[in-house]
Amino acid sequence: MTSVVPDEPVQGRQGHYAGAVTRLVAFGADVGASWGLFTVGAAALTFSIELVTGAKFSLTDHQLASLVALAMWEFLYFAYQWSLGGKTIGMAVLGIRVVRTDGMPIGPRQAVVRTLTLPLSFLLLGLGFIGILLNRDRHAFHDRLAGTVVVYSWDARAARLRWLARRDTGAAA
Amino acid sequence: MGSCRHALAVCDPVGVSPMPGTGRLEQLAQAVAERVVTLVLDSIDMDELLSRVDVDAIVSKVDVDGLIDRVDVDKIVSRVDVEKIIDRVDVEKIIDRVDVKKIIDRVDIDALIEQTELGTIIARSTSGVASEVLDVVRAQGVGLDDFIARWVNRVLRRSSTDSPVGPPALVGRPPPVAELTTGGR
Repeated sequence: MTSVVPDEPVQGRQGHYAGAVTRLVAFGADVGASWGLFTVGAAALTFSIELVTGAKFSLTDHQLASLVALAMWEFLYFAYQWSLGGKTIGMAVLGIRVVRTDGMPIGPRQAVVRTLTLPLSFLLLGLGFIGILLNRDRHAFHDRLAGTVVVYSWDARAARLRWLARRDTGAAA
Repeated sequence: MGSCRHALAVCDPVGVSPMPGTGRLEQLAQAVAERVVTLVLDSIDMDELLSRVDVDAIVSKVDVDGLIDRVDVDKIVSRVDVEKIIDRVDVEKIIDRVDVKKIIDRVDIDALIEQTELGTIIARSTSGVASEVLDVVRAQGVGLDDFIARWVNRVLRRSSTDSPVGPPALVGRPPPVAELTTGGR
């Protein structure tokens, strides 16, 4: 595999405001992960109910309950992970995390507020997210309400060293 | 010939008796002995004789350890031309005769991995590949972030150096203007 870790642009970015692309990809990964987990859970629930009752059961017959369950699951998925370490699965993969505007770790209250206000950023064709592109500190609307920012937690310098070490090992071999 | 008798005694002391006059007698005795031995050997049934020999008893009397101790193996080995032997060995023929599948079937791979660092090496290489993929994905993301930020700054006619790079607790407070212009003096 050929590494394409750039030389300069990614060095020393730990703690810098994360950009739109990384945040978008991380959010996409989180949506995929949360939906996947919800689907697996729903299938397990359906199987269990059919096993216990012996009757045919389908979640499509209970759309409102399913919708409520999905909303609760999404809330739990994001709020719990943000309050725990400031990052979700997708954010961990992309190397970013949520912190307070002063850079300190966020608490459970801010995690809950950020989760609850996240849907507001989707209103009006996602205008709440435009701040990530235009604001100097890359605040989205829900970031502004929760008093949070998203920063790079990925140590690009260490990644660069790892890459160099691997390249040297490969050359020596 | 007769005149050389003394000269022969000097030249070949083993072949001729030192006592004069006994040469012919010795030749006669030699011929008789040879004839007798031949007759005796012809009359012996070798198979019968060998069947009566207790080989095990003979071997048991041989001190094998003593023999081995007296053998200088290093000296023997040093006289062996290994390169020449190897040149004469048809390795391909040997490999053809080896049932590799049978050997592999007899190897307990799990036990082998447990006894060596192979498992750790496999784990390390796997995590190495995973982290390399992550590094590449993240680096690409950061590169695209910068690309977009540069274009946004260009459209908004904003200098990228004016923008804060991150929260103060993580990147430190931006230096004052005087520090930038005078180098902090």
